[in-house]
Amino acid sequence: MRGISASVRPGRLLAVVGPNGAGKTTLLKLLAGSLRPQEGEVRLDERLLDDFADRRRARALAVVPQSESSPFPVTVRETVTMGRYAHLGPWERGGSRDRAVVGRALERCAAASFAGRRLDELSGGELQRVRIARALAQEAPVLLLDEPAAGLDLRYRMELFHLLRELRADGLAVLVVTHDLNLAARFADRLLFLDRGRVRARGAPAEVLSREMLEDVYEWPLRLVAHPGPGSDTGAPQTIPLRRDAARGPRS
Amino acid sequence: MRLPAGVRRGGTLTRFAFRIGCLALAALAAAAVSVSFGASGVGPGDLWLALWGDADPSARTILLQLRLPRAALAALVGGALALSGCTFQALLRNPLAEPYVLGVSGGAAVGAVGVVVTGLGALLPWTLPAGAFAGALAAMALVLQIARRAAPGGLDTRVLILSGVVAGAFFNAVILLMLSLADVESFRSAIFWMMGSLSGAGWRTNALLAALLAPAAAAALSLARPFNLLSRGEEVAYYLGAAVPRVKLVAYLAASLMVAAAVAAAGVIGFVGLIVPHAVRLAWGSDHRLLLPASFLAGTAFLLVADTLARIAASPVELPTGVVTAVFGVPFFVVLLIRGGRR
Repeated sequence: MRGISASVRPGRLLAVVGPNGAGKTTLLKLLAGSLRPQEGEVRLDERLLDDFADRRRARALAVVPQSESSPFPVTVRETVTMGRYAHLGPWERGGSRDRAVVGRALERCAAASFAGRRLDELSGGELQRVRIARALAQEAPVLLLDEPAAGLDLRYRMELFHLLRELRADGLAVLVVTHDLNLAARFADRLLFLDRGRVRARGAPAEVLSREMLEDVYEWPLRLVAHPGPGSDTGAPQTIPLRRDAARGPRS
Repeated sequence: MRLPAGVRRGGTLTRFAFRIGCLALAALAAAAVSVSFGASGVGPGDLWLALWGDADPSARTILLQLRLPRAALAALVGGALALSGCTFQALLRNPLAEPYVLGVSGGAAVGAVGVVVTGLGALLPWTLPAGAFAGALAAMALVLQIARRAAPGGLDTRVLILSGVVAGAFFNAVILLMLSLADVESFRSAIFWMMGSLSGAGWRTNALLAALLAPAAAAALSLARPFNLLSRGEEVAYYLGAAVPRVKLVAYLAASLMVAAAVAAAGVIGFVGLIVPHAVRLAWGSDHRLLLPASFLAGTAFLLVADTLARIAASPVELPTGVVTAVFGVPFFVVLLIRGGRR
């Protein structure tokens, strides 16, 4: 990856999009600090990310990585409580405030009703909500998510993006890596479109998404249509891939 | 048991403390049983007399100089093996890891067998545990070095497992080589050492062992919360604020040191480090704040009982403790596993 600059501001939702192998997850890991850039730097509130101690960083930046697994069974509440780790001293036990934060995070992600269940008993959508709740329990002003909607059904996807939108309204800086151009176009303030390790386009969804650019990047025929609405989605560019043989049809 | 809501909300830690208290009592009871029974005729009644000071001197000697130090050694070794097994399971994120998975016991065995085969052990008995401990420390350093060279930039646990397994295989070859050159008597003592036995107990050994175990056990116990995060994966633990590289290194050193000390004192006693943490996890879940101390206490109780059986089951012949832990531990474990799977 080369020549990429990206920034997220409080109260903004940035979607990083692009084809497979474009470097979306790599960019997220660089921003999250789990990968070190060979050149360049990552700053959080003007300070270099490398200068943050582990706990301090986790209080400033919460990350929901693509997937995770555990060899040991844990419950939903235990998992979300892990988000409080960075707020507690090494020997400090969580107090009523920590429990309250965990409770609110569970409510927020509609996970409170199954807080006592074990993670390995959850559906994909439930698990994803638990992982986001854990990130919210970190109470960090910046939230990074890697493909949070992957594998979720229509309703969970919509609920997830609504939640991201609410968090943005609360003043969080939210960055989400996603394959879903249509949801990104409807919910994100700005898109960062990556292709083969470089920035292909950036800006408001309507500026970034053009048929020429998308057909070139994905090497597939497609059409863009305006979302019929109602509401604030109206007019958002929605990408519709065509059949392969449609490529030979008239291009207008 | 259904507790009133207030008590249950009273928190996780209250529940943990209660369970740990119960286990401590169980360990104490196991110690009392272990001290009360043995090959000689001295029984539970004499224990009370000895404690009150008016038993006959020979019974008093048997209790205070033989059975009590042996019970203390069983307690220390059982606790150390279970705690280090639990620590390795958390570090390697694998419930099947056990204290000997990374070759520490193999190194100890090379040291011990070397001392036996060269005849040094017969001349100077203290060289046997010293050789085992030196071998274990050498193995621990070697495995860590291999892992670091093979995967620079942090401790990669997959590479660590590979290095440990490879080093263990090499140590086995060295042991077999030495045994094939040994005379019958050394061969026998070497094999007995490798089966694990607590017969070397003495107050001085115990004090030395306790001094080595205390800081390592404290270090392992202090990692309970980072271990909880680590169980979700290293990347997740990092995002949640755990100092992952330091946690992994401290876990490796602490667990290896506990194994080295335990093996030097009692030989290779198997299954405690695998079965005990697993049983605790099946019963009480995998929160390491409970799991680590509970494993230590359960390991203590388990080895006390196993060693009592080893001493009296085929009396006057004493069975190797390691054989008893396997023979009684494995069926018990299988039952737990099947019941846990059904739940």
